Amino acid sequence: MSGSPILRLLLAVPGLALLILFFLLPLGAVAWQALAGDAIQRVFAQGDLLAALGNSLLLGLEAGLASVVLGVAVALHLARLPPGRRALLQVVIALPLTFSGLIVAYGFILLLGRAGFATLLLAELGADPAAIAAFLYDRPGLVLAYSYFLTPRVILTLLPVFANFDHRQTEAAESMGASRLRALIDILAPQVAPTVLASFALVTAVAFGAYGTALALVGTQINILPLRLYSLIADAGADFPLAAALSVLLLAVCSFLMAVAEIAAARSEADHHVRT
Amino acid sequence: MSVVVDSLAFRYPAAGAGLDGVSLDVVPGEFCAVIGPSGCGKSTLLKLIAGFLSPAAGQIRIAGTDMTGVPTRLRNLGIVFQNYALFPHMTALENVAYPLKLRGVGRAERLRRAGQALERTRLSGLADRHPRQLSGGQQQRVALARALVFAPGALLLDEPLSALDAAHRAAMRDEIRAVQREHGIATLHVTHDQEEALSIADKVAVMRDGALLQLASPQELYDRPADRFVAGFVGHANLFDGTVRGPDLVETAIGPLACATGGQPAGTSVTLLARPEAVRTDPPDDAVNRFAGTLVRDRFLGSLRRYDLAVPGGTILGETLSRADIRSVQIPPECLRILPA
Repeated sequence: MSGSPILRLLLAVPGLALLILFFLLPLGAVAWQALAGDAIQRVFAQGDLLAALGNSLLLGLEAGLASVVLGVAVALHLARLPPGRRALLQVVIALPLTFSGLIVAYGFILLLGRAGFATLLLAELGADPAAIAAFLYDRPGLVLAYSYFLTPRVILTLLPVFANFDHRQTEAAESMGASRLRALIDILAPQVAPTVLASFALVTAVAFGAYGTALALVGTQINILPLRLYSLIADAGADFPLAAALSVLLLAVCSFLMAVAEIAAARSEADHHVRT
Repeated sequence: MSVVVDSLAFRYPAAGAGLDGVSLDVVPGEFCAVIGPSGCGKSTLLKLIAGFLSPAAGQIRIAGTDMTGVPTRLRNLGIVFQNYALFPHMTALENVAYPLKLRGVGRAERLRRAGQALERTRLSGLADRHPRQLSGGQQQRVALARALVFAPGALLLDEPLSALDAAHRAAMRDEIRAVQREHGIATLHVTHDQEEALSIADKVAVMRDGALLQLASPQELYDRPADRFVAGFVGHANLFDGTVRGPDLVETAIGPLACATGGQPAGTSVTLLARPEAVRTDPPDDAVNRFAGTLVRDRFLGSLRRYDLAVPGGTILGETLSRADIRSVQIPPECLRILPA
């Protein structure tokens, strides 16, 4: 679009104002609060906060890994379907993305809680309802619930790459003497690895920072960073500097993961452009 | 090693297309081209030989061994795909070395042998490039080197030249033939380009609707086609439908044509074939099979001139070196060939 530089500047003002007011200023305030006092030192002095960081990382990695393993399998299957059926299934798969974390948590409670539908069915078969509920209301349950809405993300990011892969390459490898598995490992895997890694980093970051589902499912009984942060703000004894320090920590980990994802995605992009 | 295809049949579940009792054989060192219009089954034939599809009936023997139930990877075939199917994440050298890696050849040795293979296809300077950094012709050569580096029993070429422009295609054609001769390998080359097939092959199989119509040397295919489809598909042709009227006379839409009818009884429906280069321009007035008409199309192609002469009842396609005006032509009786109608 052409026009005078002043007009263009004016058009940018609302967006810029929003960015400053609701992103840069709060972020600056949080960073300032975290770094000004001794909040950061207090985080590292408190063993249970460090444990929360560790638990969150573990939860993120577990949920990320589960979603990627599941997502890769489903995406591989979808890529082989005729386009019409693939499109239909894609809609179904994308559906969980639109659910709020609270609804997902509630759904899992209805299914696997102490009086859940599946729990009662399993109890008929002799399983202990308390054990199932204990599973749901702890980290394994969170991994399950997170995977529920992270797997579709993985599928939708991987599908185009898998669907566009030229299978004559694996046919060629087979004609040269490779088994089907060997062809997939040698030929397909290296070409899709960057996208899979990017997708893993992305969902791990989401799982690391997610708190709605966790709060609804396990309350504050589990020691993970987002819930600790929540307690520091919501509970009676609010400690804003400490909350700010945790926020910065959370932000740093997520930024690092997103950077990994971006770098991996850029690499796969470069690989794809070049193919003739 | 030889490739023998014996009464091979295949049917695609959805479409009616497939393959019906196709038999052919390619001996070591021989170059066999398979041509036909799209959907004729030539690619299906290649996929069956490669093992990407399983035949409904019939047998494929490679080096005398029945290949029924043998997976692609154990057939020991070098295949060049239409789009080359190079591995984009490997360099040219790594691409060529890959079949050797699968065979457990050590790294140093396989890179040395891959390097030699690239040298033979004049690509040594480009060994470290990725496929994306190579031109179509160069990718083609990498694919060819990769298909031959492990000394396969036979070579299958699936329209390998169709992605190249005309100028490169002719050059690559000669190159493929030279490399194939050097290796003395049985080669099956699938193409829709009849000119390519005639120029490169020892023998040519013409297919249509899943059936093999004729398997013959290029010269025989051109001079003595089995039927009017082959005659029309291979090279340019005048085809006149007609009825035998008497000894050595056939009645056609453009008039009676004198030719050897080979003792066919009067009343038999036949097709007459005359190649355009056999048609003579401006014959004497008393010549047999002489037709006067008007020039409706005239194409100057450099080394020759191809024209359509409209005559009462039809058109005659001719080729000549003459640049003079054309008012009449003669189809010499000895140049007319009778085909089943």
